Amino acid sequence: MSIPGIPGLGQSVPVATSSAPVTVATTAIHELAPNSEWRFEVAIGQSIEVRVLSGTAEIFGTELALNHTYTFHGTKSSIYTWHGTRLEVTGSCEEYIAEETPMIAYVNTHFALEKLRQQAQQDGKEGPRVLVVGPSNSGKTSLMKLLTSYAIRMGRQPLVVNTDSREGLLSIPGCLTATAFASIVDVEQGWGSSPTSGPSPVPVKLPLCYYYGLASPEDNTKLFKPVLTRLALAATSRMAEDANVKESGMLIDTPGVISQGKGGYDIISHIVSEFSVNTILVLGSERLYSDMQRKFSTYRTSNSEAITLVRLDKSGGCVDRDDAYMQKSREAAIKEYFFGDVKRTLSPHTQQVDFDSLTIYKIRESNNMYAAFLPGGQEEAEPEAESLYEAVEPTSQMQHCLLAVMYASLNDSQEAIRDASVMGFVYVADVDDKKRRVRLLSPVNTRIADRPLILGSWPEPTMSLIG
Amino acid sequence: MSYGIPSDEVAEDFRQALEDLQINSRYEISNLTVIAKENTEHALAISEALKNHIKQTPPQKKLPAFYVLDSVVKNVGTPYTLFFGRQLYSTFMEAYALVDNNVRRKMDEMLKTWKEPVPGSIDTRPVFPPEVTRPIENALIKARTSAVQAHQEHLRSQQQLMNRGRPSPVPYRDTPTPPNTTRQPAPVPQGYPQQPYQPPSNGHAYGQPNGNQQYGLPSVRTHSYRVSKPMLNEMKRPPSQQYPPTQVPSWQQPQPQGYHTQETSIDSLNSDIANLILTSKADFAQNPYDSSIQTRLKALLDLQSILQSQKLPPDQIALIREQVTQLGEASRANPQPKPQRIHAPSPVPVAATPTPPPVTQAPSLESVLGPGARGALAALLARQSATPQIATPPPQPAVPAIRSPPTQMAQPAYQPIPTPIPSTSTPVPPTDTSALLQRLKAAGILGGGPTTSTPPIPPLPLPASFPAGFPSLPFMGMPQPPNGSRPAMATIPNDVELKATSLKIPRPHLIASLYEQLGAPCTQCGRRFKSDEEGRKKKTAHMDWHFRVHQRMTEAEKRGQHRSWYVDELDWIKSREGPDDQTNDMLDGGKTSGEDAFAAVKTKLQYLPVPDDPAANNVCPICQEKFEMKWLDDAQEFVWMDATKVGKTIYHASCFAEAAKDGSRGTPEPLLGKRKAEEDHVLRTKIKTESFA
Ligand SMILES: [Zn+2]
Ligand SMILES: [Zn+2]
Repeated sequence: MSIPGIPGLGQSVPVATSSAPVTVATTAIHELAPNSEWRFEVAIGQSIEVRVLSGTAEIFGTELALNHTYTFHGTKSSIYTWHGTRLEVTGSCEEYIAEETPMIAYVNTHFALEKLRQQAQQDGKEGPRVLVVGPSNSGKTSLMKLLTSYAIRMGRQPLVVNTDSREGLLSIPGCLTATAFASIVDVEQGWGSSPTSGPSPVPVKLPLCYYYGLASPEDNTKLFKPVLTRLALAATSRMAEDANVKESGMLIDTPGVISQGKGGYDIISHIVSEFSVNTILVLGSERLYSDMQRKFSTYRTSNSEAITLVRLDKSGGCVDRDDAYMQKSREAAIKEYFFGDVKRTLSPHTQQVDFDSLTIYKIRESNNMYAAFLPGGQEEAEPEAESLYEAVEPTSQMQHCLLAVMYASLNDSQEAIRDASVMGFVYVADVDDKKRRVRLLSPVNTRIADRPLILGSWPEPTMSLIG
Repeated sequence: MSYGIPSDEVAEDFRQALEDLQINSRYEISNLTVIAKENTEHALAISEALKNHIKQTPPQKKLPAFYVLDSVVKNVGTPYTLFFGRQLYSTFMEAYALVDNNVRRKMDEMLKTWKEPVPGSIDTRPVFPPEVTRPIENALIKARTSAVQAHQEHLRSQQQLMNRGRPSPVPYRDTPTPPNTTRQPAPVPQGYPQQPYQPPSNGHAYGQPNGNQQYGLPSVRTHSYRVSKPMLNEMKRPPSQQYPPTQVPSWQQPQPQGYHTQETSIDSLNSDIANLILTSKADFAQNPYDSSIQTRLKALLDLQSILQSQKLPPDQIALIREQVTQLGEASRANPQPKPQRIHAPSPVPVAATPTPPPVTQAPSLESVLGPGARGALAALLARQSATPQIATPPPQPAVPAIRSPPTQMAQPAYQPIPTPIPSTSTPVPPTDTSALLQRLKAAGILGGGPTTSTPPIPPLPLPASFPAGFPSLPFMGMPQPPNGSRPAMATIPNDVELKATSLKIPRPHLIASLYEQLGAPCTQCGRRFKSDEEGRKKKTAHMDWHFRVHQRMTEAEKRGQHRSWYVDELDWIKSREGPDDQTNDMLDGGKTSGEDAFAAVKTKLQYLPVPDDPAANNVCPICQEKFEMKWLDDAQEFVWMDATKVGKTIYHASCFAEAAKDGSRGTPEPLLGKRKAEEDHVLRTKIKTESFA
């Protein structure tokens, strides 16, 4: 009897990737009263299956199909019901049912925005540009998803903008993105998937990506601001040309760190002005709300609109996601980019490339560092200190790093490269110093040597991508 | 077990009782435990009998048998623990390998309790000593680890990393086992018979060989002669309360149309069709000008080709079988006076071009069954897959499930759409393959089409009044939506303001605009479609899209897929999101329903190998844009997409076509000619995305 050949083993029996004990999976039925929420946490590396047996249920605004089996891998999420529902849950997870939720205010926010969209449609003007701010783990992204999904359900096509480089939205972390959402959000896979060469059971979304490559906007505002400006420019152009997007407006997610005051507020102002934001939703923090009130009460947008500012309660379902969890989910996002998910296996290509044929720019970490500390006696370093990137050769330290492949040409200026959108990412699988060759993992088998590559420090190197 | 032990008789009795143990019946299990307890002098024989029973009984009966073992060792203890302990490893692991994941979980749970003392017992020793349980645990961990490793191995796709050419197919391809790593695990209902492999999840069941699993037939491959009898017994048993084990397959009833195993069904269907073809050919020879015979013959040939080239799910086969039976009767009677044309009347309304669809390809279901039939079948499929792996449950009346009390877990799940699946006992419709369409329409599955008497899609069984379930309002002074005589939902205005007070007021009537006002949901993805004409058309197209995607998922998996490059800025700005079903089609490279779009894609897919000559122009002289370079697997070289060489100059094929059109009005209009410039641009964007692929 060969044990490894046991059919099906390791499929729905969840297997812990770390030293966590193998938990016993069971099937349970949950009866949810109307207006209640089932909150659950699936450990990374584990999965559960959920079926809606009756009633109605939605995940962040996306309605679940009856009797369809949904699989959730390593996630913290919740299923809400307006009408009551019966859920069948197979597998183990931490869970509880909450009766108190801010959903009424959230759904009403959607309807208020919907009214603005109807108005915009009638007047041939732009729909609301909505900024979501709030501290980390206050549920900004969940609210974004909810508002996006509700808008989609009513036939809208909101432009979903992510300015939080800590987490990707249809892309690898480190990016700032804009995506027009017209089709259902993939409830099993975060926001869904960017295009692949094959068919997709849930329609793919088309993100436009820019690369910032650092974790926090304040790590290098000289880089963050122009990249954001470029993103806003593209988003605004799309909005001007695309009638559906125009009347639907924008939903803009932000990094929690900029809601903490000081330099962060400056970033908020920058986003507000670049995207002509006219609605700010403040999640949780009273203090942030009053700060925003002070900051924007007399503010007028480019079309001299006042800003509508609303505070919404944070959901009790918001859980702190610790660094280890966040790192694992970043790793999962990177894996998903190259190798796909359970629904669809992707096969990246490897390329052996000479050192000399690659043009790699490394992002300078912080605003002023280089001006202050230069290696002794390098007088000519001053102009370089001003530059955004530093041209570097592959080193073994780049192993397991990601390089952003830019839609730019090799002789473009650094500013042009900075403003270019991202074509994709390659992963440095191996650096051979002796032979001066790099082994790269690339999603598509095309030549990348004629594109500038950017090396950032975010996301951090990922060891486990290939063995 | 026939060692001539004096306890032969006891053991035999015990064995017989075990044979009757079908389900997890507390009564029977405790009965057996009592027998074991009262006959400890025959413990060896009894434990041998139980061990053998566990080995030989079909997988779905293994768990109850283990429960007996568990009960005996916990309630009686020695000497049974001793006797069972000896071969517990093989007893456990052999069974574990054969049972489904649900049973495995139960076995895992059981094993866990064996490592502990019996609850409430003064004996602090574990049920089985660690030297008995540990090897089992280790083996399970090892098995799981290797399953994970296999998964990662697969993910790594080492071979593909090494070979830069065409990716090799998934390693486990030639086994019947679908690649574990690429499938969602399917839900395994309680007490469901053992499945030789984890069947593809509901979402992926399209176009897959169905084999036996679909019908809940227990696998007999590993069992001895003894198996058949209890198995049949089990089949005849009415579903028990505790574990309705599975649908009692209808094949036991003497209906010819019932579900045989699919192979048998297809075989007989094929031979029926072959016979009909022979008859029709003979008829045709006699009446070469009778178009009705021609039509019938064509339909039959198409059907035959579909059946031979595609694996169809049982619903479709049943429908086809029904039609064939009727056709058979019809041809025996007399040629039909005036059958409807079966082929899709050429100009599809959406198509802008007058070009009729080319008929050169293999016939599609649509061409046989009429336009929209694929959507209908997809809808059928969707419904079927809504209750994965269980043979279609009997139609149930729609219970307003929300308010219903919790029912037994293993009862068939509530069915969202109460319309019964067309059964063979319905009155016989006109005998023509196109009758299938009418049948589907009658069943409320198929929207659109010229028939007007279609019953509306049944509304969602939502409770009539929402506010009942609404939480009590903490702010009683707030106006509440009128309850008794409220106006129609749609007429209630959306009065929400982005102000704290306004946002707090519950507005159930607005919630309706996210639910029932949007129509009934798609069974696959939950997206709702209105029940008006347009909504139904959309839904048909949407189901059609689900169907095609699932079909192509399998192909794509074999071919190997990869992430595409992101679009560039300008393309993104110019791109437009269509309805999901269409966008995806384009991204996926054609096979759209609109033939002209497909043709346009083909024009766009003109390419040239990247020229070696460094002096060659890399910018299109017409639009001043660079050519898009792509690695073409088929050609095994880098190419420029949408490129054509005219003389020494390279142009975008589409730019050149456009320019040529402007130059000479007399030439036949290029396919893109009718498109607005913007649409054209969108198309190009989409193709660009796909050309990266
Ligand atoms: Zn659907
Ligand atoms: Zn051109």
